[in-house]
Amino acid sequence: MFSTINRKLRGAVALLALMAAPLAFADEPPPSPEELVKIQAANGKCLACHSEAGLKKPPKEGLDLKKLRSHLVHLDTYTESDHGQMACTKCHGDGYDEHPHEADAKDSLSECQDCHARKAMRIERQFDKSVHAENLSETFTCVTCHDAHTMTLAAKLRDPHKIVAQDNKICLDCHDSDLAFAKMAPDKKKRPPIDDIHDWLPNTRLHWKAVRCIECHTPTEDKLSLSHEIQNKDKAEKKCATCHSANSSLNARLYRHLATEEQNKYGFLNSVILSNSYVVGATRNPTLDMILIGLFVATLAGVIGHGLVRAIMTRLRRRKNHD
Amino acid sequence: MTNRVYILHLWVRLWHWGNALAIIALSITGISLHFSDPNLPLVEFSLAARIHNVAGVILAGLWVVFVTGNIVTGNWWQYIPKPPGIIKRCLTQMKYYGSGIFKGEPEPYPPTPEVNFNVLQALTYWSIMYMVLPVVILTGLVFLYPQFAPDKLFGLDGLLPIAMVHYIGAAVILLFMVSHIYLGTVGPKVSSLFKMMITGWYEH
Repeated sequence: MFSTINRKLRGAVALLALMAAPLAFADEPPPSPEELVKIQAANGKCLACHSEAGLKKPPKEGLDLKKLRSHLVHLDTYTESDHGQMACTKCHGDGYDEHPHEADAKDSLSECQDCHARKAMRIERQFDKSVHAENLSETFTCVTCHDAHTMTLAAKLRDPHKIVAQDNKICLDCHDSDLAFAKMAPDKKKRPPIDDIHDWLPNTRLHWKAVRCIECHTPTEDKLSLSHEIQNKDKAEKKCATCHSANSSLNARLYRHLATEEQNKYGFLNSVILSNSYVVGATRNPTLDMILIGLFVATLAGVIGHGLVRAIMTRLRRRKNHD
Repeated sequence: MTNRVYILHLWVRLWHWGNALAIIALSITGISLHFSDPNLPLVEFSLAARIHNVAGVILAGLWVVFVTGNIVTGNWWQYIPKPPGIIKRCLTQMKYYGSGIFKGEPEPYPPTPEVNFNVLQALTYWSIMYMVLPVVILTGLVFLYPQFAPDKLFGLDGLLPIAMVHYIGAAVILLFMVSHIYLGTVGPKVSSLFKMMITGWYEH
């Protein structure tokens, strides 16, 4: 009940935010080089503590190192990520300026929809139908999966291997770890062993290196991005031929950002996939197929023709011998 | 009166039929996988993949049996065309298939216990068993363990050349199988050679 009201409220807030701020932060142009220098200098102050180096050599005495350990940011990863040109204080606002941070500073943390209002509304509708909303609507938020310090959009990453590594890590961090799963899962819900429930899928672990969990565990109806309606095994895709065929759905999924590029490299179907994977049934060469089918038909016709002539000649000879 | 001679030992016949079954299973599932279409599945994809994997390993095992059996029993000698006159015998055999067979002429080089195969047979069988099939088996094993495939080749996935060689090699074997089954009907009777392949006795 509360969660429904809460969700409706959140939706209303998001709608208001959308109307009040038609130009959301997410659409802002990147900072100028001068601004960037300032941002990096300001972020440096935060990272003086919130980094591996800061943890090893704390710049201040009396820090709670155990707590600090779970709040570290890797500078290079952050810089490469979607938010990498933003100041820490853009999200970590009031209460984070000084150290020690204020006790209730966390309450004033910016929420994703503060900047991504339009996206959040679209995603919320999909998420509400997902298995995560069904079981964990109280605790599951954007940041459960999307770490704002590391996430990079697939369109920006482009390399399918990097996209797969980033996105599958998110799923497997919980679904391949009893400890992490138990933290989120409802009471008494035991984590199903990830390999066992996928044992119908040949070369399971190899699949997970080549494609994302969400290729099968989301529907395809959203044209703007992959849906956030994560589906459980009852609804998930189980037909191999959805990807393993000439009309492979991988074009609309993992390879959607590359699919507009040359599609017929060396005459192969779905050749955009070939730079990373050979997908049986999808990455075929129709010319070679036609040559081999032609040879097969010619051989078949040859032996049938030979057999027919043999049969006719034998019959004629028999008739002649009879006469 | 029918004469009969014992040509084929039990192990050769057992190997042959095992090999035949494996190749038929591999051909059907291989075609189904390669031309996979969600609207027109010959064999459901994951089932086809599993059958193809199992039959492929069986085929590889049977190839080892074939090579070992040939070495141990000396049967390998049958696949070596013996000079002199190899080319002349090839041409005679081709001429027979091209015209003599239609006129009811007798087989120029019928099987005997000493020489089981005519020259064309020996050459074809040797090429298929020692050249094409090992390549198809090896590339198939790489398919089964793709971590052994090169990571990249000319900017494309390293599995691509393996897959291409596997596909073309398998197609050659399929073409061979079609001709082989048909040529099984050219004995003294249509059924003679099939019978020989089961009983080991050649009746003429």
